[in-house]
Amino acid sequence: MNIIETKNLVKTYSGFTAVSGINLHIPKGEVYGFLGPNGAGKSTTMKMFLGLVKPTSGSFTIDGKKYPGNRIEILKETGSFIEAPAFYGNLSGEENLEIICKILGLPKSSVSEALELTGLAQFGKRLAKKYSLGMKQRLGLASALIGKPPVLILDEPTNGLDPAGIHEIRMLIRSLPEKYGCTVLVSSHLLSEIELMAGNIGILNRGHLLFEGTLEELRQDASAKGYPADNLEEMFLAMIDEDNRKGGAVI
Amino acid sequence: MNICLEYKKVKRTGFIQLFLCGAILAAVVPVVNMVFRTEMYTSIHNTPVQILLGANWQLMAMFNVLVIVTGTCLLYHIEYDNNSIQKLKSLPITESQVFLGKAALSVIMYMSVLVIEAGAVIFCSCHWFVTGDGFWKELCQNFIYSFIMGLPCIALSLLVSEACKNMWMSFGIGVVCVFTALILPEKPFFLSLFPFAMPFKMLAGTKHVINYIYASAAWIAVTSLAELLLIKIRRSFE
Repeated sequence: MNIIETKNLVKTYSGFTAVSGINLHIPKGEVYGFLGPNGAGKSTTMKMFLGLVKPTSGSFTIDGKKYPGNRIEILKETGSFIEAPAFYGNLSGEENLEIICKILGLPKSSVSEALELTGLAQFGKRLAKKYSLGMKQRLGLASALIGKPPVLILDEPTNGLDPAGIHEIRMLIRSLPEKYGCTVLVSSHLLSEIELMAGNIGILNRGHLLFEGTLEELRQDASAKGYPADNLEEMFLAMIDEDNRKGGAVI
Repeated sequence: MNICLEYKKVKRTGFIQLFLCGAILAAVVPVVNMVFRTEMYTSIHNTPVQILLGANWQLMAMFNVLVIVTGTCLLYHIEYDNNSIQKLKSLPITESQVFLGKAALSVIMYMSVLVIEAGAVIFCSCHWFVTGDGFWKELCQNFIYSFIMGLPCIALSLLVSEACKNMWMSFGIGVVCVFTALILPEKPFFLSLFPFAMPFKMLAGTKHVINYIYASAAWIAVTSLAELLLIKIRRSFE
């Protein structure tokens, strides 16, 4: 069963098409990797899911709820982290989460749970503006994870983290479906990173969905098309390169 | 609920202190004026409230409007700084609810400012004048009227702050509006309905009192519609 489905989703900005009629099928209770180079349309798609960007055409449903009619209901069950961490610098990490907690109507205990989960427990009282980049990133993740929402949308969540932090967050994301039954949509421009977290992937380039399926299906698909199937990174780059040469036509 | 949320957000921004300082500065005006010009004012044959407000209200209102402009700028600055508005938009709360929460907090703060100022007027009246029978009624009527006259300024200033991501932009617009209000003539009548000019109006000595109250209500309605329109337009460009 798919928890997120899009139908010919399009977003254009005065002559430039950021997302071009994509049809995504994100299965419930899985980590779905959204892959593509910079400017492929990943963040725009994720922003559309959150109602931060208005789709030019097409539609999507999240957990059976259609946008834009059920926008607030969708947001109630979606935790998100888009591009860069967003926070109130004048408040502490804990206070930032308390604000989100109040809006979502969650018990106060979920603040400490989220801080614990992201390794920020000992820095909860520190002002968010005094956090390091990695700590801000963790705060952003905590604000997405608070209340353990059924759907999590994470846009390049490991940016700015040190190698140990990247590993820790990867492990956390990977464990979420099993631990809390969440569905995670996580984006990255690195296949090597997505490979370690996701079971299903969608590859986006120039607004087009080039591939959707499991990693195994990607290998089979790639070898059938003559791409180097033994090295996923090379295969991904070859796919992107060929699409760029074709001018962004859908495969 | 939303007021509590907004109150929590303004922690450590100096928002509360700003309104308190503004109120104290404005409250000091009649006291200082009375200390240095006691004879001049006590020799006037009028009620204490009318003498005190007549002599000091323009400067007091100036402090009030500047505090409103700065306070409302601050309220939206915390949303745009560090992009927290984006997080807010991805939560189950509408932008108009956020606006309402901020408006309610500003209104409460403005009310507190007026209470402090009323306290100063009471002190001056009791210390330098003889308060007659209708003193309390007159005082309440005047400050309730001033409260109503301040509402359009709060609403419009908040709308400008929401529209401009850069705080200096909204602050600049607010300051320009305050000085425009100061140089606007009383006639024709519609010019005196400029929202930033309305807080300078006093109940005593003002003609068309009821018209100004209607105008205040109309401005609040217009600003609310403009707020909804702003959200719609902004969303369609995102």
